[in-house]
Amino acid sequence: MRETSNGSGESITSKTSRRRFLTSAGAAGAVALAGCSDNTSNGSNTVTVASLNPMSGAYSSLGPAQRAGVELAVKQINESDEYDYEINPVYDDTETESGAAQQAAQKVVQEEQADFVFGAISSSVALGINEFAKQSEFVYFPGGAAVPITGSKCNQWVFRFETNTAQIAEAISAYTVNEIGSNVWFHIADYAYGDSVYARTKERMQAANSGFTEVGKTESSLGSSNFGSYISQISNSDADAVILGMTGGDLVNFVNQAADRGLTDDTALVGPTMGFKAVRKGTGASSVGTYGGIRYDPSVDLGDNQQFVEAFKEENDGVPGNFERVGYESIRLMVRGMEKAGSTDPADVRDALEGGTFTTVLGDITLRESDHQATNPTWMAELTQGDGNMADVNLLNKVDGADTLPPASDLGCNMN
Amino acid sequence: MSLLAEFSEQLINGVTLGMVYVLLAAGLSIIFGVMDVINFSHGELFALGAYFALSITGVLGSGLGFWAALVVAPLLVGFVGIAIERFTIRPLYGRNPLYHILLTFGLVLIINDLIKLVWGTQQQNLAVPKFLAQPIGAAGVQTSLYNVFMIVFAGGLALGVWLFLNRTKYGMIVRAGSQDRQMVRNVGIGIDKYYTLVFGLGAGLAAIGGIVLGGYQSVSTGMGNSVIIPAFIIVVLGGLGSFRGAVYGGLLVGIIRTMTRTYLPVFEGLTIFLLMIAVLLIRPQGLFGESDHSDGGEEGDLLTGAGGGVLTDAMRTKLGAAFVGLLALAPFGILVSGNEFYVILLNRMLIFAIFALSLDIVMGYTGLVPLGHTMFYGVGAYVAALVMIHVTSSFIIAIVGAIVICALIAWIVGSLSIRVSGVYFAMITLAFAELFYNAVFKFSFTGGSDGLLGWDTFFGIAGVGAELGEIEFMLAGFEITPNIVFYYTALALAVLSFLFARRFMNAPFGSVLQSISEAEERAEFLGYNVTTYKRRAFVMSGGMAGMAGGLLAVKPSTFIISPDQTLAWVHSGEVIVMTLLGGMGTLFGPMIGAGVFIGAEDVLSSYTEQWRMVIGTIFVLFVLFVPRGLVSVPSLIAQRRQTDQEGDPPVGFDDSEVSSND
Repeated sequence: MRETSNGSGESITSKTSRRRFLTSAGAAGAVALAGCSDNTSNGSNTVTVASLNPMSGAYSSLGPAQRAGVELAVKQINESDEYDYEINPVYDDTETESGAAQQAAQKVVQEEQADFVFGAISSSVALGINEFAKQSEFVYFPGGAAVPITGSKCNQWVFRFETNTAQIAEAISAYTVNEIGSNVWFHIADYAYGDSVYARTKERMQAANSGFTEVGKTESSLGSSNFGSYISQISNSDADAVILGMTGGDLVNFVNQAADRGLTDDTALVGPTMGFKAVRKGTGASSVGTYGGIRYDPSVDLGDNQQFVEAFKEENDGVPGNFERVGYESIRLMVRGMEKAGSTDPADVRDALEGGTFTTVLGDITLRESDHQATNPTWMAELTQGDGNMADVNLLNKVDGADTLPPASDLGCNMN
Repeated sequence: MSLLAEFSEQLINGVTLGMVYVLLAAGLSIIFGVMDVINFSHGELFALGAYFALSITGVLGSGLGFWAALVVAPLLVGFVGIAIERFTIRPLYGRNPLYHILLTFGLVLIINDLIKLVWGTQQQNLAVPKFLAQPIGAAGVQTSLYNVFMIVFAGGLALGVWLFLNRTKYGMIVRAGSQDRQMVRNVGIGIDKYYTLVFGLGAGLAAIGGIVLGGYQSVSTGMGNSVIIPAFIIVVLGGLGSFRGAVYGGLLVGIIRTMTRTYLPVFEGLTIFLLMIAVLLIRPQGLFGESDHSDGGEEGDLLTGAGGGVLTDAMRTKLGAAFVGLLALAPFGILVSGNEFYVILLNRMLIFAIFALSLDIVMGYTGLVPLGHTMFYGVGAYVAALVMIHVTSSFIIAIVGAIVICALIAWIVGSLSIRVSGVYFAMITLAFAELFYNAVFKFSFTGGSDGLLGWDTFFGIAGVGAELGEIEFMLAGFEITPNIVFYYTALALAVLSFLFARRFMNAPFGSVLQSISEAEERAEFLGYNVTTYKRRAFVMSGGMAGMAGGLLAVKPSTFIISPDQTLAWVHSGEVIVMTLLGGMGTLFGPMIGAGVFIGAEDVLSSYTEQWRMVIGTIFVLFVLFVPRGLVSVPSLIAQRRQTDQEGDPPVGFDDSEVSSND
């Protein structure tokens, strides 16, 4: 889909004019540089990068945020002298559904000739694109968080800057079981992400505290809207804390209903994604007093995060959240890979990215050679009363990037 | 925590949910009962109510705003409902309920995209008055004051509607119209005016349901979609047209859903569909429905595209052959442009063309309208993928497996479903499709919510052939890729399916099917076993749809088979739209319709994010003005020109697509 969007995600004009501008600029530049010695073998330094975001379907509330991050990165890269390469961005909609996402991926790869693809938030959708990347040999940066994406389904073309479930589990497990309480109830949504959360947090909690007890486990189907029965079960148990393995609409609905029923007063609700802007917006005052795993916060002062926050505030309304930073930095990493490789050939960029250490908005991270997962730090936070309608995030404890991940083989990836 | 107290809590949860369903189903049931209109857009009106409330509370705050919203938003939505009835539904009275389904399906797309456009896609919190959002408890039973409010308020509203229906003159007219519309007219009452009122009332009730539920959970763009299927189930369970049925049905479904979630979680998502199938088979008019509604309320013919063309048969055959020839050359033309994407798009069109063709056999010829046909498509895809993962990579075995299994399932589902007709047939097939959809999430061999991935397709059988993904060779200077190999395979299968179907439809078998569609009783009097013929048509259709699904799995550009992609109910609606768009009853019409639909989707999505709204508008216009589909456009134009010239329309269509001298 050919579409340029401004920050609010509205399509305005076709981008043939932009592409023509870039091509003519490139041509003019090439002519101007003809006098200098230049032996880049690939010729062009404009590269097509595709961003596939869920603009409709179950995650349609999160897709625009992801895209906003990408747009900022594209703008900064194209306007700066720091980079040798220019990005020709192409956008499309995954519709939070694998079939549509595959079609969109086919379109951007075949029709737009994109060799670099970013996107998806649903892990199920991301897994489908993983396979496609492996077959068609393009570089893919997924936005999904489930472990299998760089775990059992890892492949050499996939690199992930999004923080995965295992890393978040590291932040919330030990803290919950040591500081909040050792009787834990698990409630997850019945899909890849939920299962991933359950598996990882349970394992880490067992390792952190021998007094850990799984009081109960319940599952709801993805997209459920009524959690009354589960909330009753939980409040009737002696759980100190509840780990919620779900996100988006499910999490919002659960928290709202739990607050109405007073569950949030008695039991600590811990959600790996509780801190998301979208979740805080949907829960309003209901999420005050809950806990969340934090993948990113604008207040963090690592790497060049503060410049990102300032630049984002200038272009958009408000501060960036997790999805914005994933979009922003994934694009920047792609381009840094191109810089390091000195080429826009996907195979060269892949080799340059593998095992590389880069300075990002989360500080210095390494895209691990063993599974291509970024070694992101993670935080545990409590949600406190904010001045508007949204709760504030109060960071409690940080786990450093080096400590968040077990060896890749533990997570199921054996490619290197 | 005593067992009784826990049970009571769950019961309260169930009743709370049930009350919301009551609000939703009551409107839907009354609309159907009085107007014979199946309103798919009811869910979106529900969502619209919540969104209006959001805007109102945004301006007035959560205290006063919430109460104001409860009054103002339903009125606004009621006006929207009145406008919908006046401009889009009224022209369709007297037509087969299929057209209402299609029209309101189009409205769903339009309203949903409008909501996204105006309010954005973010999920939002509907602020309720502070004193309601607190827990209360008695005798060890804990619940929220808001739950109690929901139950009391909805109950009061239901009582109010009941009083209106049973104690006022207008209510009496509405009820009379629900029983026998013609008689009311004969008595001299202009029942048409009441339709508008009824639709507005139903829309308003749905809006209140939306506000109440929005405050309980959150307001999101998917909330309409998530309630419409349960709402239909309740209406069917309770009895189409029965308000009392809607109340009891709503409570029943709310309680059952909540209880199975707690006490029988393995059945979650399946019980209400099983219940609906059971009720439809045992007592189709529902628990409280009138028994004269048990025939499904069939009224009006399905307008086929067959008959009355401007072309003669010989010309049509030549045109068809030329078209196929063009398709055979298309990949080379595409390769010249250097972009393989359009071959992939054509592949998709071919698969859906076969799917739409299969639907035409039951819908265009036999007159059965199934709302669950995607189950064959989905099961076919899953079976083919599973065969390739676990048994053999040969695509021939995979597709044959898909056809066989789907034909078998069609035999079972068909035998059960054809016991009822009309609207009930549509609903029971929908229930079966939803059973399959929910079931695939539960098993690990189907991959759960992720679906199936990672298989290789072998283009050949028993070692003779090559890996489809690896086929690449040069032919006359063109690079032949797997997608192109697949294209020709799919094209061959599509043409063969068409010829196969045409053979059958031109034979006496097809004539019997058509006679069943036109006058079932008469066909029975003539001595034909109607049940057997219907079942056979269903099995043939199911097998063909299964082949389409199998082709999806075999397609080289398919990497994953997931539930939403293949079994979600919206695909059943889409294939019906394709069939109608092309012109049913012609066999080639639906195939053209499929191509046009997918092409339009691709083109429109490049130009606007609101492409669904555009497509929805196109459906609505087609249903209203070109109900016989695209294939009827030439004759419509000819008719228009003739009327302009002579001022006299032609007398009738007596050519038939099904000719005896083939």
